[in-house]
Amino acid sequence: MPQPVQYRGMALIVPDNDSEWKEFYEHARAHRLVVRKCKACGLMRYPPTHACPWCMELGWTWQEVSGRGTIYSYEIVAHAIQPGFREQTPYAVVLIELDEQRGQPTPDEALRVIANLVKADFTPEAEANVAIGRRVRVVFQDLADHMALPQFTLTEEPASGRVWRMPE
Amino acid sequence: MVVQSRGLRDKYCIVGVGETEYSRASGRTTRAMAVEAIRKAILDAGLTAADVDGMLDYQGGDSTLANSVASDLGIRFNFYMDVMGGGSSTEALVGLAMGAIEAGMCNTVAIYRSMNGYSEFRIGGTGARAAQPVRGLDLAQVPYGMRSAGQNFAPTFMRHMYEYGTTSAQVAHVRVAHSKHASQNPKALLKQRVTVQDVLASRWIVKPLHLLDCCLETDNATCVIVTSAERARNLKHRPVHILGVAGRVSKPRLDFHWAHGPISRVAGYYAKDIIFPQAGIGPEDVDVTGSYDAFTFTTMLQLEEYGFCKKGEGGAYVSSGIIELGGQRPNNTSGSHLCEGYTHGMSMVIENVRQLRGAVDDYCPRAAEGVHTYDYSPGHCRQVKDAEITMNLGWAMPATGSALIMRRG
Ligand SMILES: [Zn+2]
Repeated sequence: MPQPVQYRGMALIVPDNDSEWKEFYEHARAHRLVVRKCKACGLMRYPPTHACPWCMELGWTWQEVSGRGTIYSYEIVAHAIQPGFREQTPYAVVLIELDEQRGQPTPDEALRVIANLVKADFTPEAEANVAIGRRVRVVFQDLADHMALPQFTLTEEPASGRVWRMPE
Repeated sequence: MVVQSRGLRDKYCIVGVGETEYSRASGRTTRAMAVEAIRKAILDAGLTAADVDGMLDYQGGDSTLANSVASDLGIRFNFYMDVMGGGSSTEALVGLAMGAIEAGMCNTVAIYRSMNGYSEFRIGGTGARAAQPVRGLDLAQVPYGMRSAGQNFAPTFMRHMYEYGTTSAQVAHVRVAHSKHASQNPKALLKQRVTVQDVLASRWIVKPLHLLDCCLETDNATCVIVTSAERARNLKHRPVHILGVAGRVSKPRLDFHWAHGPISRVAGYYAKDIIFPQAGIGPEDVDVTGSYDAFTFTTMLQLEEYGFCKKGEGGAYVSSGIIELGGQRPNNTSGSHLCEGYTHGMSMVIENVRQLRGAVDDYCPRAAEGVHTYDYSPGHCRQVKDAEITMNLGWAMPATGSALIMRRG
C-alpha cells in the first residue's frame, strides 16, 4: 500500500508486513472497529498483539465491536508538541472503555482505546463537553484509500455513572 | 509472585558521586560531559581509573556509549553494558552492578547518564523527537496528538483526581517544596521559591498539568560508583550502604499503561513488596524520600503507592508540609527535576548519598567541612539533620518504576 500516509504533518507508516496494524486500518477504512479475540479463552484485546495476555494462546480472530463506550479518563492538550496539532488546540485526548468486556477479566479491566473526542467535522469537541462518564460512539476519519483513524464523538445517551470534569 | 530476598542487604555501597553543571546549552558532546562526571565520581570516592573495572550506562539513542568514555579515562573493563532506558534506570542499574560484582565479574562499577536533554534531544518531545515518523506501537497514541511524556501520563493523573478528589492545589505543593529545596542548592537551575498560586497561575500544558507541574529539560551528565562494603571501608567517605533495590518493576500490559487495571495504580504497587522485605524496614523508617518528579503528580503517586500514606491520600500527604525541608520526611532535597535539572533520575540518588554523608553542597558557611546550620530559610541549609535512611522512587511511566533504599554507614 502507498507509504507513508501524511496526517497533520506526521508520516504514518504501516508497511505490508505490519502484522499488528495493517488489517486493523483496512477494517477501519471500511468503517469497522475491530479488536483481536482469543481463539482459546474468548477475551478481546486492544491494541493488536500476538499472544493472548491472559492465556498465551497464539490463535486469534478479528472481532468487530459496537464502537460504543464511555469516557474513562481524558486530557486537554493546550500546548501541542507536534506542529500539525498547534491549530487544533485545545484538543481532547480521551481514554474510552468500550461496552464489550467492561469489568472483565477483573473488575478494573476493560477494552480501552485512545482517540480524540471530535465533532462531526473531526475538529476537537468543546472542552466544556469533555467529561469522565459521558457516552461516546466511534466515527472514522478517512486518511487514504487504505487507512482511516478511529475517533470518538459524544452521543445523547444517559451518562454511565458519575459525570466528572476537572474543576475550573 | 513473591521475589525471594538474596541476603545482600548492607553488602554493597555507593562510594562516589559526580555530576557536571546543569545547563540548557552545554556546548559540548555527551562524551565530554560523561567523562567529566565519571572522573569527578572516581575522585570523590578516592579511587583511581585502575580501580574501576565495570561500567553501566543508560540512554535512548541520545548519548555516548561506555567504550568511548572509558577509553578517554584510561579505564580497562572486566564488565560493561550500555542499556536502553530513561527514568527509573539508575536504581535498576545499581542492582545490576551489585549482581555483576556478586557474580565475580568485576569489583567496582561506574554508572552514568549523559544527555543534552535541552540543546540536542529535547526530553519534552519537541524538535527532533516530534518529527520522527509514526509506526508500530506509536500508532495507538501519536496520531491523536499524544506524544510527550506529559501527554502520555495525563489521563492517569486525571483519573486519580476523579477517583480520589485530588486537586491541582494539593499537588502544586510538590513544586512549592522542591523550589524551596532548590533555593538552598547552588547547582540548581531554578532557585526562585514559588507558591501554590504561582503554580496554578502558570499556563496550561496538558490538563491537568500546568507549566510548573512539569520538570525542566537539561544538559548534564551524572555518575555514581558502586562497590562492595568490604572495599568501601577503606575509601574516602563514610560509606552509604544499600539496604534494598527493586529495578524496573512493571504492571501487566506495560506496552500501554492504560490497558490494565485501575490506571491510577502505578508500578510501586508491585515494587514495594520486593524492596521493603529486602531492606527489613518499612516506610515509617525512612527519613528522606527521592520520589521522581517528572511531574508534580509522579512524586505524589509514588509516595502513596509505596505506603508513605494510604492509597488515594497522596494529595493530602504532599500538601501537609511533610515533604518539605524541616518537615517529617523531606522529598527531593536538591529541588531535583522540577527545579535543579533533569537527569533521568541519577541526581536524586546522588542527593540522597550526600544527605547520608551529612555533606550536601548548600550555602552553609562551613558546608565543605560537613558543618550545617539546619536553617531552612531562603539561601541557607538543606542538610537533613541525622538522616539515616533514604529511599529513592524511580519513575519511567505509570507502569514501570524502580526503588532504592540506602542507609548511613
Ligand atoms: Zn486467551
